[in-house]
Amino acid sequence: MENWNIVGHEWAVELLQKQVAQGSARHAYLFTGPPGVGKRTLALRLAQALSCTSPLMPGVPCGRCRNCRQIEAGNHVDLLIVQSERVGAILKVDAVREARRLLNLKPLQASYRFALFLRFEEANDSAANALLKTLEEAPSHAILLLTANSPEQVLPTIASRCEIIRLRPLPLSLVESFLLDRGIEAEKAQLLAHLSGGCPGYALRLAQDAQALAKRQEHLSELHRLLYASHRERFAYAEEIAKDKETLRELFLLWLSYWRDVFLHSLQADLPLMHVDRRMDVEFLAGQISSASLQSLLRALERAIYRLDVGVNPRLLAESILLLWPHLNP
Amino acid sequence: MAQALYRTYRPQGWEEVVGQEHIVRTLRNALQADRIAHAYLFAGPRGTGKTTLARLLAKAVNCLNAEPRARPCNACENCRAVNEGRFMDLIEIDAASNTSVEDVRELRDKINFAPSQGKYKVYIIDEVHMLSTAAFNALLKTLEEPPRHVIFVLATTEIHKIPATVLSRCQRHEFRRLSVAEIVGQLQRIVEKEGWQAEEEALTLIARQAGGSLRDAISLLDQLASSGSPLTLVLAQNILGTATQSSVFELIEAFHQQETARALGIIRRVLDSGADPRAFARQVVDHLRSLLLIQFGNEDQIEATPDMKEQMRRQAQFFPTSRLLQMIKSFNNAAVDTRGSWLPSLNLELAVAEALEAPLAEATSPLPLRHSSGRGAAPAVPPEAQAAPGTPTVAAPEAGTPPPAAAQPPILPLETILRAWPEIRKRLRPQHPSTDGLLNSSRPMEVRGNELILGFKSETVRALMDRPEHLEPAKRAFREVLGIELNLRCVLVNAQGKLPPHIPPDSMVGEALQQGGKLVDQK
Repeated sequence: MENWNIVGHEWAVELLQKQVAQGSARHAYLFTGPPGVGKRTLALRLAQALSCTSPLMPGVPCGRCRNCRQIEAGNHVDLLIVQSERVGAILKVDAVREARRLLNLKPLQASYRFALFLRFEEANDSAANALLKTLEEAPSHAILLLTANSPEQVLPTIASRCEIIRLRPLPLSLVESFLLDRGIEAEKAQLLAHLSGGCPGYALRLAQDAQALAKRQEHLSELHRLLYASHRERFAYAEEIAKDKETLRELFLLWLSYWRDVFLHSLQADLPLMHVDRRMDVEFLAGQISSASLQSLLRALERAIYRLDVGVNPRLLAESILLLWPHLNP
Repeated sequence: MAQALYRTYRPQGWEEVVGQEHIVRTLRNALQADRIAHAYLFAGPRGTGKTTLARLLAKAVNCLNAEPRARPCNACENCRAVNEGRFMDLIEIDAASNTSVEDVRELRDKINFAPSQGKYKVYIIDEVHMLSTAAFNALLKTLEEPPRHVIFVLATTEIHKIPATVLSRCQRHEFRRLSVAEIVGQLQRIVEKEGWQAEEEALTLIARQAGGSLRDAISLLDQLASSGSPLTLVLAQNILGTATQSSVFELIEAFHQQETARALGIIRRVLDSGADPRAFARQVVDHLRSLLLIQFGNEDQIEATPDMKEQMRRQAQFFPTSRLLQMIKSFNNAAVDTRGSWLPSLNLELAVAEALEAPLAEATSPLPLRHSSGRGAAPAVPPEAQAAPGTPTVAAPEAGTPPPAAAQPPILPLETILRAWPEIRKRLRPQHPSTDGLLNSSRPMEVRGNELILGFKSETVRALMDRPEHLEPAKRAFREVLGIELNLRCVLVNAQGKLPPHIPPDSMVGEALQQGGKLVDQK
């Protein structure tokens, strides 16, 4: 298993591999990076490397022994995965307390007991605080693995107790070749690599969801149609999209990435676009709309996504965004 | 599994504690004079030594050494027991997981039993800010008058969450952040003991990154050292996700040259090479702050090498203070905004756009700095703007000039007025609340020459505003905030509250629209 069978992040793998081989692994890690960059995969590989019964070489898991396979499948008896119910929900203190209780027990099968906390930025204050003491001085057989979007999104007291592994988006070409290896046709692979912004996991999720790309095309056409729509039509549209919070969140994210493309283009920045297949449209919009109004639209979108997550009325948010939406004359 | 370095190097004696001399001295004197308080509250940022000092105190009061000065001796039975974590009378409670009033009641029930091994029972309540209100209140009586054999040590990072009734019952010690030099010193000691190789610059970078927390610094050192190779600056930058200082210099250079594309390219390169967006924003803020300090003549506060200082001195001349402030604000937003993780680089890119737009607004709007406008002084036009020939601000109109023709270009853009609007209103509020109220129901529509057109929705309000007793104070407020004389014209606008931008409010079409007309067709 070269590079632990992970795309990119060589430096991180090398670091962890050395720690495992030298027996100097830490008791707490915090993996950070944008969604789909490979935090969870890396955390699981680390657990495998620490539990593998027949390592290929020191610090390299075999991927075939019982421990490796069970950890990969997420049903190892000494691996506890803690996460909120769904993306955007809150991780509560009860889950953390339960994890603490289990961590105090001796491992049954592997040499360590692992607790993998996914999306720890979703932990509320009391949940995060409840982990502090365990995180600082965990039992000698326990290893805590946390993932979060960025170290700043968890409590500073949490981050300060962990070894932070900051995963960064990969070069787009790497993601593209990763997708090609998975048997995805070249044109689609290029688009997906750009859309993912360098996150292979996210690109793969898009590739596997047959409807995702079609949906995106549809949403982007609607985005253009809205530019010429009257307030009445826009409000009708807002009502429509606000019905389902999850879809609305995805739509906001799509808008955000698209308008960022337009914004960067309007500043004549020489950066890779995310929506490469829409270059013409992006160029057209960049010529039509002032960078100042793009800025305020982008800021408003960021705020709206944040507010959606903290529970503000979705329809209100959709309407306020569409009020800021630029108007073009046909 | 190796023990984390910050646990291995937790100080075991008073001398090893770094930074908190004021607290160490107080505690040691109290020990020698046998005047130990029954409740201590240790407050301060993370990783500054609260838990460490709490344990040291517990060890010292129970130490069997005959000489108070030598306590803790780390040799007697009790000291060893504490060090090995098996001392029965040191009770460390994690308040974050035992938050409820039940937990406190349990504590109270047990507290009356005499210590089994040592002289004192020491209760260390860590993360005490997480206790519920009921739990705090249940603790109050015990905290005020505990049994003679009990010492409480409460530790917290968030003192503002502690009720005043608890604060007043404890001897309070404030831990301070450690300076970069202190952290570097400690790191060097560790590096020596472990027999590692380390560049001094790398250690300085770690110390800066740690933000005054020794635990953060040692964790980072630990992480860097675990790669096995000597600690170099390059390695540190790679793992910490900080950009090189030269890219910050280059970014400032791009701002000076007004090259948006280049600035965005730099951001892209920095992030691609692995820097953290927020960390980079902080670096930029740090640098801009240095430039600001140079402008204010406080150069000695900057920690930098002489030739970096030389470069900074050069860059400090690029920008007027007001623009520096504006850029700092933009990048500071990017540094503290935790929301923008959906597109990690977006906040930086927006900050760049803002930073580059600033001079345009400044060239046309003599918006004074807040501190100078606060005193309501004479129009504070930044000297740069005054001196620069050819900018529109030079021709600030003298009072009494006849109103210019309608075709005259606006004296300042409407956006500037809109931005200053809240400030203007705030200025009016204390003395002219009714004028402020009238302005509240108006909307700045357009600037023509030195005339600002205010739109009102109702004729009654418009007529009221048109009287001198309201117009005069309003004009004065505009003058104080914007630094120029503006004539105000109040017009009625139609029910929708706005005219299409290409129709002047005082034209015939505009008038018709204001009377409730509708635009059907345009030719």
